[in-house]
Amino acid sequence: MSNCGNGCSCNDSAIDNVFLPREAEILRAEQVTASEKHFTLKMKDGKGMDFQPGQIAEVGVFGYGEIPLGFASSPTRTHSFDLVVRTVGRVSTAINKLEKGQSLWVRGPLGSGFNLEEMRGHDVLIVAGGIGLCPTRSLIQYILDRRSEFGKFTLFFGARTPKDQLFTDDLVQWRKTKDVVEYHETVDKGDDSWKGNVGVITTLFAKTKISPDTRVVVCGPPVMYKFVIRELAKLGVPENHVYLDLERRMKCGIGKCGHCQINDKYVCVDGPVFTYSDIKHLEEAFA
Amino acid sequence: MPAHFIHETDFREFLKSLIASKPVIGPVVEPKSTGDKFIFDDVTSAEQLRLDYDVSLVPPKAVFFPPVQKLLEFGPNGVKSCINPREQVLLGVHFYDVKAFDQLDKLFNDKFPDNNYLANRRATTVIASSVQTVSKHAFWGSFGKDVKAKGHDGFLTKVQGGYVYETFSQKGEALLKHGKFGNASTDQVSAAKRENDAAMDKCQEKVTFTPAEISTKTRASFSNNEMWKELSKDCFSCGSCNIVCPTCYCFDVQDKWGLDQVSGERYRTWDACLTEDFAKVSLGGAGGHENFREAGAQRFRHRAMRKLTYLNEKLGGPACIGCGRCTSACVPNIANPVKIINRIMKG
Repeated sequence: MSNCGNGCSCNDSAIDNVFLPREAEILRAEQVTASEKHFTLKMKDGKGMDFQPGQIAEVGVFGYGEIPLGFASSPTRTHSFDLVVRTVGRVSTAINKLEKGQSLWVRGPLGSGFNLEEMRGHDVLIVAGGIGLCPTRSLIQYILDRRSEFGKFTLFFGARTPKDQLFTDDLVQWRKTKDVVEYHETVDKGDDSWKGNVGVITTLFAKTKISPDTRVVVCGPPVMYKFVIRELAKLGVPENHVYLDLERRMKCGIGKCGHCQINDKYVCVDGPVFTYSDIKHLEEAFA
Repeated sequence: MPAHFIHETDFREFLKSLIASKPVIGPVVEPKSTGDKFIFDDVTSAEQLRLDYDVSLVPPKAVFFPPVQKLLEFGPNGVKSCINPREQVLLGVHFYDVKAFDQLDKLFNDKFPDNNYLANRRATTVIASSVQTVSKHAFWGSFGKDVKAKGHDGFLTKVQGGYVYETFSQKGEALLKHGKFGNASTDQVSAAKRENDAAMDKCQEKVTFTPAEISTKTRASFSNNEMWKELSKDCFSCGSCNIVCPTCYCFDVQDKWGLDQVSGERYRTWDACLTEDFAKVSLGGAGGHENFREAGAQRFRHRAMRKLTYLNEKLGGPACIGCGRCTSACVPNIANPVKIINRIMKG
């Protein structure tokens, strides 16, 4: 009846299309774990990618589709940006077959990221579980690049096994620079080479002192949130200082398609970063 | 708003001229039905148009937001947008479906304007028409009746001897040249008003609570798990209630390859929040998946929340316009909003 319902021929219409992605060249592609690949990208149109830590992009390969991903590098590093993709389904499998010199198609930045103004001048704790280190790495790098603007900076990272640890070059660096970032790590299950902490991520709270005035960022598998929130409550961190970076099925990324909805909020536009106080009353926020 | 009148005997000529000038979409008999089911489709002759229809099977939102809509074309040379609207007239939309357009206009315009919908909307002249036959499950006479339809360009009301045609925009006025319209008399305008007012009392199903009361009580009932289980226990999770809903706008986006295997298209299809995997997320590795609305009762509740409370503030009223299509489409007969509302209000 109307456009594209019945096979009209497409044209280069002057009308903006929110689904039209931009081409990004893969400058570097490295398989970092058995299932995760780390990409460094640059927009081909020269317009860059003007994002805030915590925002997302819809990233795709034509013929397969798009998936939502958090930026894994800081906007302070303007030359390029990073994404990490875990091989899970059809689209991520197709993306992870790509190599340097090939292209990804990107829509973004989308969504609302971390409130940097609220964090500046305060202690910051980041609690990252598994692949949750990817979107929070954007903020980690941002803080490291502007270190004097923040107070004490603590980072907790939990992985399933030592082999599942991401950004291992970063981890080596963070372990060495305690005056810059107080880094604590754990694995659910160690191996012969692992000398560090074994246990769930909340066991790391005993390793350091977190002031109640700390701004806290939490990102990880759905099951992790309620346990971390419980620890933070014990420490007296106010609920509006706790930032949760949530994962949902953000299919369109523009607040329409409905797949990422938590009660009346669309994670892709109202989030993916929410303060705990903003969503604690939403029954569907926590699995 | 200027009111015009056209005699019954001149109406056919008006339609003929209109159809000759640009594509006209209107209510016609569903070809596979026995003559009592209607759809919105291209009207090729004046005789086809059935302004006496009760309700269409699929809502006319499909004209702007087709069940399958191509968004992009891709190939070896890159990607192209597919927004290419057709100038057309959508004639014979009942006021409750216009109210649904008003909602979709707002929602597709919200934050990130989606021209895949909006361009079709802008290119279409919408002419509403009076309800001559009230469908069995309609309850628009009582529910959300304070929210008035706004998004139409003209309104045709069947009165004795012809039609009163009120115009609300230049697009609506542009149709006057196709027929022998004269000024409507005061009596004719009053007759039209009486006709439309009288229709409001003809719905067999009625809601006795106000949308505000329903919204508050529905939101407060979120954790009444027993009630949601009871209401949804026969649900097949088929999503028919979503698919026939004029205000549902959830969709899925998919890619498909062309036969040449080097080019293809990205398209969207209507999706349904009642279906089992709608809110499912794959976690990969040992994580398996997480389904944020795994139980049928959670999905049933989500639909009720969306229609009765979540969107009320943004839309200025409930996201249900009382057409009763979901009631007709639901095989186990559990989707009827009137029944759901009454059960929620009972507590």
